[in-house]
Amino acid sequence: MRNRKREKEEHLERLWGMKEGEQEAVEYLEDSMKGDFDAQLVEELAEDGMVALSEGNRKIVLTESGEKEARRIIRAHRIAERLLHDVLGGEFETGACEFEHTVTSELVDSICILLGHPRTCPHGMAIPEGECCRRSERTTRNMVIPLTEAELNQSARIAYINCRDDMLLHRLDDLQVRPGIKVKLHQRYPCFVIECEGASIALDEDIVATICVWSQGPPVDRPKLELSPKEKKPRPWWSKGLMAGRKRHGKI
Amino acid sequence: MLINQLMNMPTGSPQIKKVMLVGLPNTGKSQVYNNLTGDYSVVANSPLTTLETKRARCRLAEQSYEVIDSPGLHSLYNPSEEELTVRDLILSEEIDILVQCMDACRLKQSLTLTAHLLTLGIPMVISLNSMDEIARKGISIDPVALSRLLGVQVVASVAVQGQGTEELKEAISRVEAGGPEIIPCGEKIEGWLAELGSKLPVEAPYKRAISLLVLLDDPLILDYVNKMYGPAAVNDLQQQVKLIKGNLRFNIGQVINQQRSRWLDRVAEEVTHRTKPQSHGFAQEFARLSRHPVFGIPILLVFLYSMFYVVVNVANVISEWMSDVLWMPVEAKISGLIPLGFWHDFLIGDYGILSMGLANALMTVLPILSVFFLVFNIIEDIGYLPNLSVLTKRLLGKLGLSGSAIIPLVLGFGCKTVATLSTKTLKSKKEKYIAVYLIAFAIPCAAQMGLNMSILGRIGLSAFVIVFSVLFVVEILVGMALNKILTKQGQGLVFIQELTAIRLPNLKGVLKKTYYRIYWFLKESLPVFLGAALALFVIDKLGVLTATKRLLNPLIEGFLGLPSAMTDAIILCLVRHEAAAGVMINLVKKGQLDYIQCIVAVTVTTMVVPCFANIMAMAKEVGGKQTLVMIILIVMSSFAIGGALRWTLVALL
Repeated sequence: MRNRKREKEEHLERLWGMKEGEQEAVEYLEDSMKGDFDAQLVEELAEDGMVALSEGNRKIVLTESGEKEARRIIRAHRIAERLLHDVLGGEFETGACEFEHTVTSELVDSICILLGHPRTCPHGMAIPEGECCRRSERTTRNMVIPLTEAELNQSARIAYINCRDDMLLHRLDDLQVRPGIKVKLHQRYPCFVIECEGASIALDEDIVATICVWSQGPPVDRPKLELSPKEKKPRPWWSKGLMAGRKRHGKI
Repeated sequence: MLINQLMNMPTGSPQIKKVMLVGLPNTGKSQVYNNLTGDYSVVANSPLTTLETKRARCRLAEQSYEVIDSPGLHSLYNPSEEELTVRDLILSEEIDILVQCMDACRLKQSLTLTAHLLTLGIPMVISLNSMDEIARKGISIDPVALSRLLGVQVVASVAVQGQGTEELKEAISRVEAGGPEIIPCGEKIEGWLAELGSKLPVEAPYKRAISLLVLLDDPLILDYVNKMYGPAAVNDLQQQVKLIKGNLRFNIGQVINQQRSRWLDRVAEEVTHRTKPQSHGFAQEFARLSRHPVFGIPILLVFLYSMFYVVVNVANVISEWMSDVLWMPVEAKISGLIPLGFWHDFLIGDYGILSMGLANALMTVLPILSVFFLVFNIIEDIGYLPNLSVLTKRLLGKLGLSGSAIIPLVLGFGCKTVATLSTKTLKSKKEKYIAVYLIAFAIPCAAQMGLNMSILGRIGLSAFVIVFSVLFVVEILVGMALNKILTKQGQGLVFIQELTAIRLPNLKGVLKKTYYRIYWFLKESLPVFLGAALALFVIDKLGVLTATKRLLNPLIEGFLGLPSAMTDAIILCLVRHEAAAGVMINLVKKGQLDYIQCIVAVTVTTMVVPCFANIMAMAKEVGGKQTLVMIILIVMSSFAIGGALRWTLVALL
């Protein structure tokens, strides 16, 4: 028999997604869960006070406590995606799906701090804020820091851009300011100037602050996705870099 | 028979193919346009040089083409105002061939645009410019490989030197109908694009591009669809998008961007090779210093001083020489031939058509402007001006101007009319108003700058320093005041500004541009100089001028402390600042303006009223009523400031 807790979590996770897409139909949930949909389980969730059913069991929404639980799972999932995508590159979906069911909130927060409190997952969906984000916690040295704090004239690879404004992201993308690209901070005063792919760009401090870079050189060159996807590169960083980080910070 | 022939003639004018030049800002579109057509579109090492589209015909290999030069474009998605005109043009003009101008030094940025353009399915040619600069940086780009990967012809060129023009012409004439290859977006998204495309009428062009923009929620594409195909099509598309997005677990825009990034990383990697290790060139170092908060200011001052030096020591000398050798003997001869009286006054009197009109324009103003433009064009060609925006950013913030207003203000030092027109890129009404006002007010355009230097240089460097400090302080105070008074309307734009690369000036380009600037000056101004002299002559003879002078006497002589002859110059400012400057130079030569008077006169005439073209541009950007209010304010405040300056100087000196 499959793990009941885990299946409940999958349902809650899907319901969170429906909330983001403003969907409430049970039928929709059934569709999008495909074979994994379990009517009995939905009833159990309702009994647990996690979901509320209405309109003759045709509409389903998360209750407050359900939302809290779903939020925790989504956060774990998306943070995991961020970690696997930024650090390891390549396929991250399966790993994240496993991860979300096994980690504690504390561990998720630690990873979140390590990554500099990312706000979106690699698909561009919002990562729910954790306690650590609200406190803006810092380890002594984050792996990922905003470009505003990077050293002048040092090449740094962009980890991600902490920005939910699609238009702005597109504009930056057009200028090749995007994850994976190396940038250099030229000056902070009187105006921020960065160098990216051979061009110098002057921009507002607010925007530079959303650009997050690896603080000490990128972990590894990301595997080229257009190579055959099976061809795995050795990942020396995972053992080296993170272990080094572990020693330095005492914990991750 | 005849009818048959007529029937066989396709509709429209199919003999003429439309070629449109597109590309990122400052990638040499105008240069390529000039090379292709032999027409002249202003070229500068600066963005926002071309604000309006320009067209010319050319004939290549038995085929007529209409070549269209366009303002810079970053992408088809979410265009800014000036980019929107380009997008609309592409979507509505039935372009036969797109020529994308690429800056080899910004290959990846250019490829992003290429990816967008390829979705249109219009046959394309790529003109890969600045091949010399990239080679100097130690990088080689393989045009053949690029051509193979993109499926379009790529022509390597150095546009400023005209290299690659013949090859480009050949490539254009070789282009066959039928679009280039597309970059597939992945099965799922391709499916959606097809679904969206099917909601458009069968004959609609650019289905893929439009579908993609609709899928990305482009804010304006539905307006276009509405205009072309009616509200039903818009409704269908919106329904379809809702259907697609309802079931989505990712942000489409970001996924498409990621795919495109991977595609262009691969292309860029395959075509670029580093031939020698990267080194920091002199140009890069210089660019960095010119933006430096400490070193930047001396560099700015050195530029200003060298312009001043050249104007005083070269332009003024040439002008004196021309006046002595070419004009004085003529004047003496006429004086000997024609006795004092009406005809004498008409030709060489105070308002003589030859003395105030022709000699003023050709002997006094022309040599000064020629020399100044030469120096100014060199500085413009180096690419120094856009880098100034970094230095001035914080200062302008205090004036209520966000970063995007910087380039228009900096452009004001070239031509105030162009600068005013470029404020259309500002979205906030308040910001636009402030920028237009500041440009119209105390910023001297290149011609004014050159002539002011010439006038003040005759008095001394200190006069020049005083005048420009006053203008600077006035500009700041006015900006701060406007920022306080005006209420904020509309959102300021975020500031993202690509800075131009510093490069060595291209002598041929500089000479050509100087030639055109002088040619335009003569074409536009010479008739104005002559007309103004004639008009002043007439109102002088009628006694109106004397009456006006008497009327203005308390203001000009009493308040500003200037000789009454300065009234002529101020009146001429209404017509053409250069003509006024010519009159002032003559007054200085005759010793009729002393140190303080000269400073006051130059300060007032620089501010008093913008030239006619600038006023028209203002009316276009902020409306007639606001323009009138601005001009009244400008005129009043320039006299007030002139007076205050005079009394301060009298008290101090």
